[in-house]
Amino acid sequence: MKNIDPVKALDDKVERLKKDLKSLGDRIDNAQTDAAQHKLSTTNQVRDTTRKIAKTNERVTELAESVHRLERLLVALNRKVRAGETRKADFDTWPEIGKPLIARILAGQEAYARKTFTPQEAKTRRRAVAEYDRQAHEAIDAAEALTTLPPNAESLWRKKYKQWQTIVGKQRPEAPDDNEHAGDAAAKTAGNEAVAQARELIRARIEDAVANDLLFPAWFENMLGPAAPPGKADDWLYTATDVVLYRLLHDITSPASALGTAPQEQGHRRTLHDRLIVECADYRKP
Amino acid sequence: MAAEPFARLADRQHALRTALRALQAAGPGSPDFPVLLAETAKEVEAVMHARRDVEAARLTVPNRAIAAGTAIAALVVVIGWFDGWSLLSVLLAVAVAAAVLVDPVGRGIWEPRARTAAAAAALLAVVLTPLANGWASLAVLAGVAWWAWRTLR
Repeated sequence: MKNIDPVKALDDKVERLKKDLKSLGDRIDNAQTDAAQHKLSTTNQVRDTTRKIAKTNERVTELAESVHRLERLLVALNRKVRAGETRKADFDTWPEIGKPLIARILAGQEAYARKTFTPQEAKTRRRAVAEYDRQAHEAIDAAEALTTLPPNAESLWRKKYKQWQTIVGKQRPEAPDDNEHAGDAAAKTAGNEAVAQARELIRARIEDAVANDLLFPAWFENMLGPAAPPGKADDWLYTATDVVLYRLLHDITSPASALGTAPQEQGHRRTLHDRLIVECADYRKP
Repeated sequence: MAAEPFARLADRQHALRTALRALQAAGPGSPDFPVLLAETAKEVEAVMHARRDVEAARLTVPNRAIAAGTAIAALVVVIGWFDGWSLLSVLLAVAVAAAVLVDPVGRGIWEPRARTAAAAAALLAVVLTPLANGWASLAVLAGVAWWAWRTLR
């Protein structure tokens, strides 16, 4: 239907637009309300979460405190257990490993450490010794001459003094000994046997201590940890035996330090010490 | 005064003989040979120093005399045969003579005789100076070299 009157038509149009405007305003209002509601709920949620987190925090603090209390309790308990009637393992006195056995082991180690000569070396060495002896005799003769020379025979004095100087400060090379070789071999064998024997005794006692759940000495635990690491019991036992043997051989009685002070000079003891340090550090690793 | 260094040298030589007897008795193979050797070495040093003292006592006066003679001869040569080129050898000789005059025997075990040789060379150089002019300083240098070689080696 078409209005013929243009004013009327315009009025109609204005009327329609007004309606549209109103509906739009309503929709905006609605949207605003919705948004406000959403915002409110989100804020509430955030507040809730914050409260929950704070509560959790408190709880964690409480837990930490109780863990700390537990730790202290454990330490105290440990001490009480140690002080109490727990049976202790004794790895410090070894009546069954006597002085002769230890002496045999040490002699064997010395024999191993000693240098052995090849025949050629022995020959040159013997020649050097003979040369030294000859020089020594000459030098002694020269010094003998010094005791009778008149003071103004300067060139003779010089000559004899020089001859004497050839021997001063020189070391006589050590002579190779033929009997020594056989003796060394015997000492080595005896030492090996003694080591095997001592190791067996020590290992038996350690195994016994493990079997009966005995409390290890402080130095033992310091060095080898409270127990054998899982899956490595045999290696652990071997090292533990060596630690005890080391203490026995080198007369270490420190209650806290298993190996005592580190040896300064190179040699069998130093090698064993270093090896034990490395191996034990491996066993103490968590 | 002169007898005392001789007596000391004789004493030292006697002590050395005793030490040597112990050393010979021990023989090179024995375990206390190194200790005995060190002791004997000390005795030998003592003997050498005693001999040096004897030499020093014997040579102090001659060394001083030669050095003084050198100085006087140098004066005579400088005045009588004055020459710029000769001055070098004369001055060197005078320097050596002064050193010997101040300390005629030195401290090393071979030094008394070495100083005698140096002073004698200096005197020879001064005497040669009228003939050889500055070339005579070579004699002085030779004497000093001999002295240093004997003392420092």
